[in-house]
Amino acid sequence: MAAHADTAGHPAILDEVKPAVLPRAILVANNRSFSWITEKICGIIEGKTPVWWWWCFAVACFVASFTVAGLTYLVATGVGVWGHANPVNWAWDIVNFVFWIGIGHAGTLISAILCLLRQKWRTSINRAAEAMTIFAVVCAAIFPVFHVGRIWYAWFLFPIPNSNYIWQNFRSPLEWDVFAVSTYGTVSVLFWYIGLIPDLAVLRDRFEAAGNKLRSFLYGLFAMGWRGSNRHWSNYEMAYLILAGISTPLVLSVHTIVSFDFAVSLLPGWHTTIFPPYFVAGAIFSGFGMVLTLMLPLRAVYHLEDLITQYHIDCMCKITLATGTIVGYAYAMEFFIAWYSANPYEGFTFINRAFGPYAWAYWIMISCNVITPQFFWFKKVRNCTWFVWVLSIFVNVGMWFERFVIIVTSLARDFLPSSWGYYSPSIVEIFTFFGTFGVFSVLFLLFIRFLPIMPMAELKAVTPQADVHGGHGDPASGQETH
Amino acid sequence: MSTHAATVPAALPTAASTAATAGKALTVGLIGLAATLLAALFAPEKHGVALSYLVGVSYWTAIAIGMLLMILIHHITDASWSVVIRRQWEHGLAAFKWLFVLFLPLLILAWAVPGFVWPWMDKTHVLHGHGTVGTDILYLKKEGFLNIYTFTIMTLVFFGSWVWLSARLRRASFTQDTDGNAAWTFKNRVTSAMGLPIAALTLTFAAIYWIKSLEYHWFSTMYGVWFFANCARGALCCGVLIMVWLLHRGDYKGILNTNHFHSIGMLMLAFTVFWAYVTFSQYFLIWNANVPEETFWYNLRELNHDGTTNQWWYVGLVILFGHFVIPFCALLSYRFKVTPHIIRRIAYWVLTIILIDICYNVLPALKDEHGDSLPFLSINLLWVLTSVIGVGGICIWAYLRSFPTTKLIPIRDPRIGECLTHHE
Repeated sequence: MAAHADTAGHPAILDEVKPAVLPRAILVANNRSFSWITEKICGIIEGKTPVWWWWCFAVACFVASFTVAGLTYLVATGVGVWGHANPVNWAWDIVNFVFWIGIGHAGTLISAILCLLRQKWRTSINRAAEAMTIFAVVCAAIFPVFHVGRIWYAWFLFPIPNSNYIWQNFRSPLEWDVFAVSTYGTVSVLFWYIGLIPDLAVLRDRFEAAGNKLRSFLYGLFAMGWRGSNRHWSNYEMAYLILAGISTPLVLSVHTIVSFDFAVSLLPGWHTTIFPPYFVAGAIFSGFGMVLTLMLPLRAVYHLEDLITQYHIDCMCKITLATGTIVGYAYAMEFFIAWYSANPYEGFTFINRAFGPYAWAYWIMISCNVITPQFFWFKKVRNCTWFVWVLSIFVNVGMWFERFVIIVTSLARDFLPSSWGYYSPSIVEIFTFFGTFGVFSVLFLLFIRFLPIMPMAELKAVTPQADVHGGHGDPASGQETH
Repeated sequence: MSTHAATVPAALPTAASTAATAGKALTVGLIGLAATLLAALFAPEKHGVALSYLVGVSYWTAIAIGMLLMILIHHITDASWSVVIRRQWEHGLAAFKWLFVLFLPLLILAWAVPGFVWPWMDKTHVLHGHGTVGTDILYLKKEGFLNIYTFTIMTLVFFGSWVWLSARLRRASFTQDTDGNAAWTFKNRVTSAMGLPIAALTLTFAAIYWIKSLEYHWFSTMYGVWFFANCARGALCCGVLIMVWLLHRGDYKGILNTNHFHSIGMLMLAFTVFWAYVTFSQYFLIWNANVPEETFWYNLRELNHDGTTNQWWYVGLVILFGHFVIPFCALLSYRFKVTPHIIRRIAYWVLTIILIDICYNVLPALKDEHGDSLPFLSINLLWVLTSVIGVGGICIWAYLRSFPTTKLIPIRDPRIGECLTHHE
């Protein structure tokens, strides 16, 4: 310890100069104890299944049945049941794919990038966000897989030598998507699972103590013999950090490749160099929108206000504001460069987006993605939970429309006016997409019922009592630091 | 250097005098500017001198913008580890008003001899095989944006915004040293919240007007992001150089620890990857689409009209390896990041390559009678060096003039305690 520092590591000289006082936000409110956190999180799983959960589950299953029915009908009849027709041969399937993949990004972003950036506030939301990632990837995968038409040939997507010696087009970003998304899905599951292990062991021990042998066995099976020794924790921390390091470029690369699906083409409105970072920013934006949509009701239902504090909501709102503004910058830059390029096709495309037959979609997109997040400038808005939730819904809606605008408007009116058309989705497409919200909800409801929705050990580590200095003199004790 | 806890000098000194060093910087800067002026007057190829000077001004402006961005991001994220480094970036912002003065010759030149630097300003300028600017449909379409009036107004707006934001940030931070009022921190957060979109837009359009419009046929939506990445990298590298300088001088002894170097090194690594991501994306999407109206910009930097490879192709390779591969590999190492003399070398290296990157974007606009870009290794490189030294000398002088006027570190910043005890 240095000569001019006191026993708590706080430089003594600061007592003389008296810096401005600006306390950090507390990450676990009301000085909750370790056992309170354990009881709170485990209690959600151990308690009796609430009635509301059954109602939600039933509704979610019903909604999911629309996807099942839509896909069954598609497989039985053919891919023509979707509303694709010249010149729009690629619409809702890819719109929905990009929409769900985008949502899936925030989970890994919160966990991995915020972990690398040492943002401790992530601990309250990272578990649910990671789960959201995986479920969103499941929903996303439905669309390209079923768009192949003959679903039983979907394995052709992978470069497996087959009897016809047909190889995939490795120069196509759609093929890169196969690798990117499957790798992303795998790493996301691993990342999520690694983080779950200590908490699964807690549940194993608690169910064993309660005499529930089956659940103790099942949780114990997935806890893989975790005993909480120093060696276990050391390996765990290292594995988590490595996965965070791997996930970070991965999360960026996946959406970059998704943007390449469009940007490598020559189609006006698609071929633009800003697409990669713009898609990544959009994915983060939509992901945080969905995290707010999911976490705010959970916070209210399970009374998690001490764990998801106003500070957490503030942080999420501010990131949504920042990424929404970046997306707005990208919209503006696309529009400006379309004009600046003096390319008549580019110029037409953007005028057509704003004032053509799909203008309604364009202005919904602008309203939801650029204007809506600007409300988050105001503290009063951020403090009003229900309003934040409503705004988060707008963000979700806006990001779906962004993909719709990009994809459909460029295809519907391409180079050749004689081939122009107006795309409208078929009822099968609408049902299939609608149902994916049910699929997502079913999976998420199962998650909150059977797995700890927050990482207990990580939460405990950010409480004031976990601070090594005991909260004496260290301004960072139990609080967010940057 | 201590490894963890701070040993802040008890005297809390106002930064030691840097008058002698400032004087030297001013002398070097004036010599560099004088050499550039002589070249402008007497060199046979005056276009080369003008564009080299544009490189010099753009380079240092980029670094100053980067410092502004770093301070804005620091405040908006309520960061703590960078408090002591932020003070040095605040001093760096003192360069903006001088950069404006140094940009004036280019502005005056634009009015006095239109088209001398930016060809589109002269409607009689003859294009290679395309008539004149005034008859060029690609120019006429964007004439509302690319004209000398908007150029001048926008340049004034750019510098006005940067000087204004800098003044607000500096005043609040410096005043807090004396009164210890947390309200200054909130004020700087407000400045940062509005400053970030302003900085993003101004740097984007500065890059478009000053650099991209040299080849006004070319366009890329990524260009502002590319410039942003270089700004940020430049500021981080200068931050490292100042940290090591002050550490060796003794000023920062007991203030900095290994974790400060680790943190700024990690940011350097992150922005190295970000720059590569942005630059690769731009190149890849243009290469893959293979549309002549976009590829010509890269072709100028690769091929002569007869199909032979020109020097800029090799410069491109230097940028690929020098701006990404080498710093990326070096900055992966924890030891390299926390060892002052090693990270200083990395910072020097990256600053050099940023200069080459800006040369790569500016100088190929100089063409010979065949429309081929003039080579990189030419007399123009000398004017680039005199310009960079000249403008740099003035910027460093401005920094050193500001340096002793305040406390060495923002001693009453609410996060100073966390900063001095910064740990992983």
